[in-house]
Amino acid sequence: MVQPAPASPLFWRFNPEIYQRMGMKCSDCGHITYPRRKICPECGSFNVKEHQLSKTGKVHTFCINWTPPPNLEPPIVNVIVDLDGGGRYQGLITEVANPEDVTIGTKVEMVLRKVMTDRGLNIYGYKFRLVEEG
Amino acid sequence: MRGKVAIIGVGMIPFGELFEMGLEEMVQQAYINCLNSVDKGISTKDIKAAWFGQWSGGGMIGQGALCGASLATMIGNREIPITRTENGCPTGSDAFRNACLGVASGVYDVVLAMGAEKMRDKPGVESLIAAGGGGGGILGLHPSWMLGMGGPVLQALYATRQMHELGYTMEDYARVAVKNHHNGVACPYAHYRFEVTMERVLNSPIVCWPLHLLDCCPQTDGAACAIVCRADIAKSFTDKPVYVLGSNTGLDHKNMWDKHSFVEMLSTVRAARGAFEMAGIKPDDVDFAEIHDCFTNTELMNLEDIGFCKKGEAANLLREGYWNRDGAKPINPSGGLKAHGHPIAATGIGQICENYWQLREEVEPERQVKLKNGIALSHNVGGDAFGVSCVTILSRSL
Ligand SMILES: [Zn+2]
Repeated sequence: MVQPAPASPLFWRFNPEIYQRMGMKCSDCGHITYPRRKICPECGSFNVKEHQLSKTGKVHTFCINWTPPPNLEPPIVNVIVDLDGGGRYQGLITEVANPEDVTIGTKVEMVLRKVMTDRGLNIYGYKFRLVEEG
Repeated sequence: MRGKVAIIGVGMIPFGELFEMGLEEMVQQAYINCLNSVDKGISTKDIKAAWFGQWSGGGMIGQGALCGASLATMIGNREIPITRTENGCPTGSDAFRNACLGVASGVYDVVLAMGAEKMRDKPGVESLIAAGGGGGGILGLHPSWMLGMGGPVLQALYATRQMHELGYTMEDYARVAVKNHHNGVACPYAHYRFEVTMERVLNSPIVCWPLHLLDCCPQTDGAACAIVCRADIAKSFTDKPVYVLGSNTGLDHKNMWDKHSFVEMLSTVRAARGAFEMAGIKPDDVDFAEIHDCFTNTELMNLEDIGFCKKGEAANLLREGYWNRDGAKPINPSGGLKAHGHPIAATGIGQICENYWQLREEVEPERQVKLKNGIALSHNVGGDAFGVSCVTILSRSL
């Protein structure tokens, strides 16, 4: 699969989505998603506006991946997170000693982490860290 | 379907790790088998158009993109229009659907649908990455959203939620593998022809919790094709045509985070609903089915999404033997993707070959299913985030 170079238009274009967590909310059906777009993927409405995605949420579903693609050290925990304030986010759990600590409903928060390296350049994005209860 | 369409011949090659065969040879052998299967004979000149299901587009075999001219060259026929079709894991079924539309529209009398895929020329890991297990898995998205994704991850995210919402267990998933491997043993076209026990599935390595290695279908090479024609001329080719009652494609979001649910796939729900409507039948009217068990949990979800049972009932019915080859509604008598294999573009047409043979009662006696209404269904789901599904309904009578 072809990877875009870090200096490619795709990375520049997605700066607000990644670093400001800018998403989209449909004024007609209420669907919240990312990246931003002109047409709601849920209902087809053109009546959409920018929506700031929350940093925190709860794990909706997850899996513990023992056979990740090269460059990732197993096990990794893939999650789909229900964000506080609406919308879902897909990503990886970081800084978890025991993958079994992750379960449906676990509280998580986004933290900026290096997600990959391409030709010597670091690419940053969000991963999820478990929130300490208390 | 408004314009009536019939299948008059099908051809497949045994699926497997076919290191000795290239894509061209697989296609040619399936094509020759298909022509030879037409009871009263057919001339290659009778075929007026073709659709070539091909998913990887050369990415798997180190060639450039494949196109209509690729199939024209392989079958030695440059006189007819040929379109390459790609639509995720349902690629073969969608090539078949387009072939049926070519006939139903009244433009062509006889057409060919071919599906072929070479998955194993690349070594294991490279093959899996090329199949969508990529590190960045980009497709126009930022890598931080797609990091570490891949086929097993996508399904495991559903499998976890099925366990949470429906009470399914890893034993329920393993039971699907046991059933489909058992069916595959009797099928001469299947990639894996060995039995597995619950213990063996549950003791196989975890690929992506909650899925074990033996919950996953293999990477397989294969080719399959079918010739369809106007129903009113079918009897000039065979006394036992099989009719296409319905063929539909259904879609859903291509991003996982947009899905309304992780225990149901709307792509399948939509594909099935449209196909049943086209056919004018209900799920209960179907005698048996070949459905997309790329992972064991997927089979349970599909059975519910197609409408063969209510949400959450599939695992119990499996335990009772309802889906067994000798059960009330046999599912995947060929062994399914799990044992028969999953050469992506060949998979859907391979299912159609199997259903054609079963409806004509031509398979080995021990794996022939009992027919009541003479109606069979086949189903695929795949593409980005399982956003594409195809359902095809075949019948012995119009
Ligand atoms: Zn909307």
